[in-house]
Amino acid sequence: MTPRVAQMGLGAFAALFFLFIYAPLLLIVAYSFNSNPVNMMIWDHFTLEWYTGLFGLSERGPEIGDQNRALYLESTDQMLKALRTSLTVAAFTTTIATLVGTATAIALNRFRFRARPFYSGFLLLPMMMPDIVLGIGLLIFFVTIGMNLSMLTIVIGHCTFLISYVFIIVQARIAGIDPALEEASADLGASEWVTLRKVLLPQLAPGILGGALLAFVISMDDLVITYFISGTENTTLPVFIFGMIRRGVKPEINAIATLMILASVIVAGLGLWLRSRKAD
Amino acid sequence: MALLEIRGARRVFTTPEGGKVAALDGVDLDVAQNEFVTLLGPSGCGKTTLLRAISGFEALDEGSVRLDGSDLSRLPPFRRPVNTVFQSYALFSHMNVARNVGYALEVRGEARPLRETKVADALEKVGLSGMGSRRPGQLSGGQRQRVALARALVAEPRLLLLDEPLSALDRNLRQQMQLELKALQARLGIAFVFVTHDQEEALTMSDRIVVMREGRIEQIGTPREIYRRPRNRFVADFIGETNILVLTVERIEGAIARARTAEGCVIDLPSAGRAAGERLTAVIRPEDFTLGQAGIAGVVSRAVYLGSDLILFVRPEGGGAEIRVTARDRAGAPEPGAPVHLSHDPVAAHVLEGA
Repeated sequence: MTPRVAQMGLGAFAALFFLFIYAPLLLIVAYSFNSNPVNMMIWDHFTLEWYTGLFGLSERGPEIGDQNRALYLESTDQMLKALRTSLTVAAFTTTIATLVGTATAIALNRFRFRARPFYSGFLLLPMMMPDIVLGIGLLIFFVTIGMNLSMLTIVIGHCTFLISYVFIIVQARIAGIDPALEEASADLGASEWVTLRKVLLPQLAPGILGGALLAFVISMDDLVITYFISGTENTTLPVFIFGMIRRGVKPEINAIATLMILASVIVAGLGLWLRSRKAD
Repeated sequence: MALLEIRGARRVFTTPEGGKVAALDGVDLDVAQNEFVTLLGPSGCGKTTLLRAISGFEALDEGSVRLDGSDLSRLPPFRRPVNTVFQSYALFSHMNVARNVGYALEVRGEARPLRETKVADALEKVGLSGMGSRRPGQLSGGQRQRVALARALVAEPRLLLLDEPLSALDRNLRQQMQLELKALQARLGIAFVFVTHDQEEALTMSDRIVVMREGRIEQIGTPREIYRRPRNRFVADFIGETNILVLTVERIEGAIARARTAEGCVIDLPSAGRAAGERLTAVIRPEDFTLGQAGIAGVVSRAVYLGSDLILFVRPEGGGAEIRVTARDRAGAPEPGAPVHLSHDPVAAHVLEGA
């Protein structure tokens, strides 16, 4: 095979590879603009009504009748409430997991104490655990201690495994930081606290931010564990969508999915930008 | 009174296999005001541990470290009036050069205008004026080295510790920095304790050299003393090229003691302190032999080109270890295979302590 043919082959392979990964996502985006309400696989014409419908702005009243319209708006309300729940949970979870995960990574890397390897091993375990096991375990735990399922239980549940994620990412960063930096700071007269504030945390910042972004995204995205511990009052967005799908795929779901893809791209872009800015 | 006094310093590490290794095994050392002292030795000799015991990053099991007469042992590193230039420079990559240099002042809480003056001053001392707004990542190795130096000096330490600061630089820059460091030290008038495994560096810069091995001090002396009058085989071998000769004294002839190797090469030594029949080890540097018509007869086995000089390896006629001789690289310099005669000034032969 000539190098030219080999190169074309590689190019074709790369194209197919990315098509394979992104085709399902592109399909959802395309369907979210299709006006055919019955069969989304048959293209009718371009519309934004699924998006406007999401926010109760749809003009489709006469077609679906007043009663249906009320139901429709109610389900939209529920969806927005689920989004708010998801955002609230993600915000609290991210804050707690980032603080605890970062502190743990610093402690395990910069201090020597008994059974250190044991601790890091056990911190990684929740990540390896099947979600379904974690979900059932948490549910049984909350029921046993008599705690009502609420937003608090979702936050606690998410923290149990997201602390591990933040820990891993910050730990990777801290392992790459020359310990001489902290020694230099102490050598120049800084106490441990000042060294933490002025040297270690700024050096760790990209890792901490990366860990926080990941925690936020996973918390927003989690279905299995949340499904067990969210109760009926506090549905998160993924649990809500899952419920909707059981009653058939409504076109609005494509619109929600597209918005979520957009949000993910923005978050990922933010992460990449932060990383490139810090790399000097 | 010496500025720095170290007495009976001992530090034992436990190896992963559970063994004990004495990184410092009873070290005594004085450093005077304004003195440039180099700790020299192979890796693992304890020189870095000694430096870290002074800066406070390593605690001693036994012994004391005193600065200006007051005991430092109980002070954490950030309370000790000494500063360090680290091997990796350890510059803070998230701060610009000026903030790096001013870090000690910032931490101390000095007012910004005073800080800025001192930082500009320190940058000027190391030849980096106007570079304050750069990031460490934008500087060359030599410039980073200077920033690390300025950062340590701005705190006005009583004693500056330097942990192999030149090892990452290429040869030309290293030689330039050696001269600059020495000049800077003389100008500032503070004591430097410099750690290196590079004997050339030690000889170039130091007022005194401390040669260490396996946690002990082998010899302390001026560069000339260390080079010309090494106390034992280790020091002689570690510093520069040398010929180590095991000799038996045959007879004393006035100021000269005539000695012989086991293979019969005749070596003359100063007679002071020598006695006929004595067995001893002597060193003669390659540059102390002269090629001539008389002396030890031998054949050049190979020649190593060093630029201005050649090192000739001469196999003595009577056998025994090859003798290394320095010769100028010019027309008529002996080629491998050429017969030569080696002579030396008896004064150049130095007798080691012990056998």
